[in-house]
Amino acid sequence: MATLTASARHPAPRATLMPSAVIGTLLFVFTEAMLFAGLISAHAIVKASAQEWPPTGQPRLPFGETMINTAALLASGVLLVMAHVSYRKRADLATVPLAMSLLLGSFFVLFQGREWVALLQQGLTVTSSTYGGFFYVIVGTHALHAVAAILAMAWAWRRLQAGRLSAAQLGAVEVFWYFVVLVWPLIYLRVYL
Amino acid sequence: MNTRRWTPLLVVLLIALTPTLAHACSVCFEANDKNRAAFFATTIFLSLLPLGMIAAMYWWLRRRVIELRDLAAREDILPMGER
Repeated sequence: MATLTASARHPAPRATLMPSAVIGTLLFVFTEAMLFAGLISAHAIVKASAQEWPPTGQPRLPFGETMINTAALLASGVLLVMAHVSYRKRADLATVPLAMSLLLGSFFVLFQGREWVALLQQGLTVTSSTYGGFFYVIVGTHALHAVAAILAMAWAWRRLQAGRLSAAQLGAVEVFWYFVVLVWPLIYLRVYL
Repeated sequence: MNTRRWTPLLVVLLIALTPTLAHACSVCFEANDKNRAAFFATTIFLSLLPLGMIAAMYWWLRRRVIELRDLAAREDILPMGER
């Protein structure tokens, strides 16, 4: 046993089935998916049993304007896929698409904030009707997730710039952002229409 | 016979005899077609979503296991110098 080869002393790292960071984020995303499913289902039932939807005297949600916002969010998701592909080729190549994805995600949240201010001025509040209540709870919960995911992306971008971002860390951030991106069209079509 | 063991069963049976006191059916008091359809659709949605997520996870892991198995097999075939 005294003549151990170098490879036996330092075995090559085994490829993992799935990094722990990604598994953890996936489990979190699964529970959050059920939270949104519950909220959307409750909204669907209340909407179906309402005499009039949206109720009289309540402003209509800006479906057209939000379409621009939706496009920005979807583009942000596509850019993150590009960042993933670039990272696999060479890590530093992912810097630009990741930064652009981050900027588009931030645009989405800021645009939504502007939309909320306008709706509040028009009289749509959490307590003005169930219509308003559902809007702020569902869209607000999504916005909270978007802000958290943007912070995670900013953290990943800084680590990438410092050359310290691992594939597992990028993977975990990606899973979270893809969830935020993919759940939005469902919310948009259910709540805004 | 131990009456303590039968008391809970008796209580449940008595409760089962008074169904009119419990408004558990959400569509019974607001029974329009739209509402019924919404309940039906959301029940299916909420039942299938977790199963779909588990199935997707299983499919992805299975694919990854096959990928890793193939990789390990290729490494075994390759001569030492080419690894």
